[in-house]
Amino acid sequence: MTDTRNDPWYSCLPSCETQVPCGQGRHIVRWEAGQLRLPEHPDAEAEFVLAALGGGKAGCVVLAEAWGRHTSDLSVLAVGPRGSADEIVVSWQDVEEAAQAGQRGGAVAFSRVRRAPLRRLASPPAPAAGHSARQRQVQAEQERAAERWKDLLSLLALGYGFSVRLAGQVAAAHADSPDATARPALATAVTGRLALVAEQWLGIDPDEVDEVSWHDGPGWGRVELTGTGGERRLRVSLPASWLARVWACGLALIGGHLVVAVDRAGWPDARVLALRAPGAEPVLVDVHAREYDGLDGAAGTPDWEL
Amino acid sequence: MNREGAETYLRLLAEAELRGPMVPARRQPWAGPGGSTARLTAVAQALTAVRALDFETVEDILADFDLAVSVRQRADRFTSGPVGAAVPRPGRLMFPPGKFARSRLVGLSSREPARSTQPGPGPGGPDRLVPVGLTVPYRDESLSGEMFLMAFAHTAAGARFTMVWQTHRRYDPEHGPVHLGMLPFERFTVTDNRGGRYQLDFARSGGPEWAGDVSLRPEPPDDIRWLDISAPDGPVVRVDLDPVAAEAAGGAEPSVTEVKLSPGEHLLVMLAERLLTVAPEFPHALRMQLAAITPGPLHTMATGMGDVIAALEAADVLSPLSPVPGRLAAVCAGMRVSGHGITAPPAQDLPEPWLSLLAHYQRRKPDTVPVRDGYAAVATALPELDGIRLALLGLLNTDGGSWLQVLGRGLESETSRGPFGIDTYFPVSVWIRDSGGRWHACRPASWHRHNGEYVGKLQLVPPLTRSTAWIEVLAAGPSAQVRVQLPLRWRYL
Repeated sequence: MTDTRNDPWYSCLPSCETQVPCGQGRHIVRWEAGQLRLPEHPDAEAEFVLAALGGGKAGCVVLAEAWGRHTSDLSVLAVGPRGSADEIVVSWQDVEEAAQAGQRGGAVAFSRVRRAPLRRLASPPAPAAGHSARQRQVQAEQERAAERWKDLLSLLALGYGFSVRLAGQVAAAHADSPDATARPALATAVTGRLALVAEQWLGIDPDEVDEVSWHDGPGWGRVELTGTGGERRLRVSLPASWLARVWACGLALIGGHLVVAVDRAGWPDARVLALRAPGAEPVLVDVHAREYDGLDGAAGTPDWEL
Repeated sequence: MNREGAETYLRLLAEAELRGPMVPARRQPWAGPGGSTARLTAVAQALTAVRALDFETVEDILADFDLAVSVRQRADRFTSGPVGAAVPRPGRLMFPPGKFARSRLVGLSSREPARSTQPGPGPGGPDRLVPVGLTVPYRDESLSGEMFLMAFAHTAAGARFTMVWQTHRRYDPEHGPVHLGMLPFERFTVTDNRGGRYQLDFARSGGPEWAGDVSLRPEPPDDIRWLDISAPDGPVVRVDLDPVAAEAAGGAEPSVTEVKLSPGEHLLVMLAERLLTVAPEFPHALRMQLAAITPGPLHTMATGMGDVIAALEAADVLSPLSPVPGRLAAVCAGMRVSGHGITAPPAQDLPEPWLSLLAHYQRRKPDTVPVRDGYAAVATALPELDGIRLALLGLLNTDGGSWLQVLGRGLESETSRGPFGIDTYFPVSVWIRDSGGRWHACRPASWHRHNGEYVGKLQLVPPLTRSTAWIEVLAAGPSAQVRVQLPLRWRYL
């Protein structure tokens, strides 16, 4: 198998673009070769500087800043789509309303499904001075939370194509040497997505897929089905890079094969290492991307075929 | 402690729960977010209670989950089938609290410790505990009543009496019977053997509203021999604080036994005892026979117990070989709790107090006649249990319930919300065996904090049904348990 670790993770992904609200109109935003680009803001760097100095921010610039803040944010994996059939609908109106709600009152505005706080403090409100300091702290946290909320919603509003590319970027940022703080989120992200792929691949219940373990070393890993009936389990070990290099590029399941690694990256043609069934030896197969309209961000990832 | 395992378990559970909202993708029914998050919340609370995860991590995970659910909810997904607790507006996003949970919004229920605003020393210092058992009458032109003193405690936080009081109704020809409210404690006078004078400050500590404690202000010296207490124009009642006499009134020395419960086992023990003491939250007609009623009224309480056990194992705070999950399963079976998801078979070797309480619930004709209102003067300090020091300051029967007045030190002021309503701020198991051999669980009822110490009541489940001649108190933490037998002398209200 060819060593593709030096290739960018997105080598199998074409560009995609969409339109976003900016000023009084709508502007194109494009993802290309791992970068978010603003073709209608040719001097975006200058606009960033102006914005930092207190100038007004164009909608596209705000969006690009949000993208930049979350390229290694594991919450993107927890919130974002698990697959093309996992429908997430966030409109730009939703984003605007979320922003307005945050400005009005933060938590109060988002109170429709308030979860009971996990922590309880065995004390009544502190005396006035301490109380106001606490209020300020709470206020600051609410503002940060509202900003983060708006960020994530606006990134989801870009559509599936952008969401999956951002997920790939986040996964790639942590894949080389996931530390203890990132491993649980990464393992969950891989397991959750693989479980849905396995459901399509084998017709099994996603709950029958065990936590995916990291494969580190030579070879590609392991996929085996054990037990029968209620005891049936799919046990999988894959490299941490699978999420970015395979799943985010739309390569996870092609022609009834589970793709476990990319041998030769490229678009629209690539060669992948794929399994026909659990326990079988993987085989190298050439895959080709069908015609792809990347002009609509919702179009997502290429549709590959053997 | 495997924090990574704990976090991974919680995240995977959230991931599994999220598959519900992906209905169009998976073509499976989904009951809505309300039901699907009960297990997640229980596991999150359990993992924070055993300190496998910190609040911030858990709140981040739950915030992401809430947002993930919200962005997958659409109006057409709620038009058929049962809907959970939250119903979104048609066609619009439902904004969850998400990160706003991090705003450290706090809950303060009447049953958990509340702190006074007075500064004061921390726990520690010499203790003087004296059973009292005296009545101080009060009468003026508009009010009559009594203050019954149960015990005197002088600790680092100050000096106080635990007490219960009552006033007598008058009959107003125009308005009928009139309840006259509280005794005016500020009008009582208190002097010591050296001529020092004190005022009484009343503080409720939950449970019956006519019971609580009165603090002495200013704090008296350590070595006073007695206090004289009287209402205006009333008789003087002398409270003897002689330590020799106090010791003579006490029971045997407490015996301490080492136990070895892992944090996970301790949490499950608290969970089992929570189930066993849930009776007061049900209507009276159901209380006595909770385990004998079909279908069991507690079945909804148990959602996620199996997940909690699995999460505790993933966090390495519960051995897969532990017998405690099987005992919890046995309690569930005995209380007719179904749907708990515990895979361990019900164990046979239940602790004697648990068996006693289960037998009580399963009795077809349980005792229904409450004991006469009264109190027993008790003042005993228990040896420290895992950093917590308890002093017992009176036993009270009133209004069909029984209450143990307690002074606690070493309790944490900030705690997690325990799964299934566990009182994590009071991580001690307290049981009382009466002279008839029946066990009574002691559940925290309410507390107030005073200068770093907590004064509160433990509610006995079931209540005492007779004026027992003695009690055996069993208090247990994760690493030790204490037993002490106390003779009781009852006084009636």
